[in-house]
Amino acid sequence: MSQIKTIHNPIGSLERFLDLLLISLIVYMTLKGGTSGACAACKYQRRRCAADCPLAPYFPAEQPKLFQNVHRLFGVRSIVKILENLDEVQRPEAMKSIIFQSYVRDRNPVHGCLGITQQLQYMIWVAEEELKAVNLQLQLYRNGQNHANSHNMMIHEIGEKQEDLTSQLDLGMGLPVNANQGNNTIPFFSPVSETQPQQQPQMSYCNDVNNNDYNPTPDSCKEILNNHNASSAWGQNQFPFNHHNYGFINQNEHCSETKNNNSVMAIQSQLVNLQMASNKQEEEVDAQNYDEIHQFLEIIDDSQSFTETKEVYASSSGESLKEPIDEIGEKELRRAATCFSLTSVN
Amino acid sequence: MSSSSYSNYTNSPCAACKFLRRKCSSDCVFAPYFPPEEPLKFANVHRIFGASNVSKILHEVAPHQREDAVNSLAYEAEARLKDPVYGCVGAISVLQREVLRLQRELEETNNDLMRYASCLGGETSAYGGRRG
Repeated sequence: MSQIKTIHNPIGSLERFLDLLLISLIVYMTLKGGTSGACAACKYQRRRCAADCPLAPYFPAEQPKLFQNVHRLFGVRSIVKILENLDEVQRPEAMKSIIFQSYVRDRNPVHGCLGITQQLQYMIWVAEEELKAVNLQLQLYRNGQNHANSHNMMIHEIGEKQEDLTSQLDLGMGLPVNANQGNNTIPFFSPVSETQPQQQPQMSYCNDVNNNDYNPTPDSCKEILNNHNASSAWGQNQFPFNHHNYGFINQNEHCSETKNNNSVMAIQSQLVNLQMASNKQEEEVDAQNYDEIHQFLEIIDDSQSFTETKEVYASSSGESLKEPIDEIGEKELRRAATCFSLTSVN
Repeated sequence: MSSSSYSNYTNSPCAACKFLRRKCSSDCVFAPYFPPEEPLKFANVHRIFGASNVSKILHEVAPHQREDAVNSLAYEAEARLKDPVYGCVGAISVLQREVLRLQRELEETNNDLMRYASCLGGETSAYGGRRG
């Protein structure tokens, strides 16, 4: 046994050496993250990936597209320069933002991240306008309730004295909508509203939104910004800008049904109930609209999502609702006045 | 002014060719978008992206979209210079948070409105019942 061992020792040692070399090579490759051992950056540049390659931690070999996007926009030299000027702690975050920016530019070569910025600014504007309208309506209801309470008290005190009651109603005290109808209508949001010209300088980079060739950059926001601790609740976003629009459209029709109703409060309650009912009916429509808004943030290659969104905004809130909304206040006033001037209050 | 934007042999070179210290030819791809009056614009873009990358991007997009592409690159370059870590992505993050904040506020306000409306409806219907 020992003789055999003695004879085969040189070969055995060579084999052992080769085995050890192979094992170390495998370990080295594993540490490098691939069978080739090079990161995506070095692979792309066809060079040996050094142990201290500065780009290796950020560009794994199995994701070559990431580096391609970055290389296409920034270039290796620029990235290395940026990284060199940053601390160790800041480098991962910087690379994330660079990768994101490059990805967005790849998806939208014309506008890049500026397109997303403009879209978000537009969404903020939409939400702010909606908030203004809702707050105004809330104030209207509060004023209406105050007037209603004071009106109820007066009716109980006065009793069956018709003349006094009608005289006060003629003054408009029982008609809360009068107080805030100085501008004729509640200012509903419309993308074709008067305020839009003020936004045009900001939207200058999205002038071609209405063009068919506009290609928004949806997907990257949700996925990559999640890594930046940005909220991922885009799926829960709901801008109920259509609720009150539809509600006020139906008010016009409903006022005619209350012509024979002698009570201001009845009109109010019916308006409110109708709005609540129409709000429920419009939830599905709103959900569909908001899905379209969010599509450009999903990882879906949908080139028309933003244009469709704009069209939805324009069609649903601007075009179809503008005229009825403008006429509601005036018609409502007239009908209410008719109710109380021609009929008695029982 | 248009002649200065389209540089030729007799006019001054565009900001790009001035920066790169080369002759600005009549078919210079940078000339229409980097006027000599705005040297910083090209300097920023070149510093972050590089002239060759910008040239490639311009050749990839349609001619009528090149101005928008250059403006967006200039914006991103300036943002990256101001904030080397996040660049323009920081602004996106801030805007996204603002949108979410507004959404939450809108939801709460709508809930208040619904509660108010339902209370008002309850009071008036009760009043209507009493009235007959």
